[in-house]
Amino acid sequence: MKRLLISLPLALAAALLTTSVAQAHHSFAMFDNKTFVTKSGTIVRWAFNNPHSWLYLNVKNEDGSETLWSFEGGGPTGLIQRGITGNTFKPGDAVTFMYCPLRDGRPGGAIGWVKLADGKALNLADGGCTGTEESPKKP
Amino acid sequence: MKLTISRWRLAVGIIVLTAAPMLALAQGGGFGGGYGPPLKVIPPTQPFASSEAHYQFLLSQAKGGTQHTIASVPRWDGLWVTAGNTHMEIFIDGGNFSGKVREGVLTPAYEKAFKERWRQQTEEGQVHYDRLGRCEPPGMPRFLLEPYSHEFINLPTESYLINDFGPSIRRVLIGKQHSNLYGTHSWYGDTIGFWDGDKLVLNTKYLYPADFTRWSPMTSNQFETVEVWQLKKYAGGIERIEVQATFYDKYAFVKPVSAVYAFRHAVDLEQADYRVNHWECDQTNNNFLDDKGVSNFHLPGEAGFNDGRGATMFPELPGQTRDPIYNTTLPAATTPAQPQSTTTQSTTKGAKP
Repeated sequence: MKRLLISLPLALAAALLTTSVAQAHHSFAMFDNKTFVTKSGTIVRWAFNNPHSWLYLNVKNEDGSETLWSFEGGGPTGLIQRGITGNTFKPGDAVTFMYCPLRDGRPGGAIGWVKLADGKALNLADGGCTGTEESPKKP
Repeated sequence: MKLTISRWRLAVGIIVLTAAPMLALAQGGGFGGGYGPPLKVIPPTQPFASSEAHYQFLLSQAKGGTQHTIASVPRWDGLWVTAGNTHMEIFIDGGNFSGKVREGVLTPAYEKAFKERWRQQTEEGQVHYDRLGRCEPPGMPRFLLEPYSHEFINLPTESYLINDFGPSIRRVLIGKQHSNLYGTHSWYGDTIGFWDGDKLVLNTKYLYPADFTRWSPMTSNQFETVEVWQLKKYAGGIERIEVQATFYDKYAFVKPVSAVYAFRHAVDLEQADYRVNHWECDQTNNNFLDDKGVSNFHLPGEAGFNDGRGATMFPELPGQTRDPIYNTTLPAATTPAQPQSTTTQSTTKGAKP
């Protein structure tokens, strides 16, 4: 119950934020924005670039190997207005994140939110993922 | 428990701050709408046969225009972001994503094309393709609503209307006649203007075919504008640049249409000490069309992946990475190229920092 009290308002806020700030560089048709997946990984690169940011992470597979995953996020001017900059993530940071996957199954998607090791949640979403809820699917 | 309550308060605050733009989208004020009083379109007082006739009428009414000096020309300093618009109210009954295409506004060919875009957006949730995914500039009229940041620099004989997307720069020549030495059209065409007191009146011609957004109608190479830009102030310290625009396009519109666009001070960006950097879409773009004409991305390790923070063509030299602070690398290409790639570079080789 306590977890619900904590997560519900954040999810509501994230939903409203992402709905109102979707930007417009390209179509988001490649993302399945009805599916929400949560994983944990280690940051390889935080590319805070225009017109969209990209977050690259290594995610451990069941057999112990690692796969590089790639996620598109909002543009810098939109993210700065949410307190996120090019120095928010460092290579090697361990994070938990939610995303909407690529429809073709490759290791990537549209990022929803990212939780830092201290539990702080950041909304990186653009129009490709609404970030309204955590997925029932697990890593 | 204190933590729980504070998060609720935080969330409620965020909801309040974000609800206004959402409501504004429903009212046709997307892209930052909801700032200040509702936008009201001011259409021309009479019909005109062309944008140039409209512009000359306004110039005549202004008795040739106001001759500003460097001391008197209106200043719109600082950074600006979009603050809503009304153009969807022209084309969609209801003006929002649950509405239907209003018939008889566009010519038959353009109406048919728009209905397919609107079907993709409303039935499938996304238009398959956006020309900006190929790194085309927004152009006009899309310049008026693209996000990112804007700057507006007014001088007595010129104005520069800038969006960092691209970057896109509209140069306004005050008191001049149209000129086109290139013998073709362009993304921002040729813009002339005059001042009528604190109003900047523009006429833009010679534009490429473009669109309002990917879910909005397309425009033809005969699209022209008359715009009236003015900084307006409202109670509560609200300042908003409002652009009353009338669009002429003999191929796309049954008759000229009018809309209003707005910009507000980018207070959050200025408080964050933001700097506008030069960027161009092509350096980082990995968007391509698949064999069904739907947008997709090249990922690291795939042929065609464009590494915007990778090395230059000379990675063996020191100092050639475009990621000098964190010096990260991504895998080099190992898989075949995706079809119909719009990018050709693959610069993921490890570089000396």
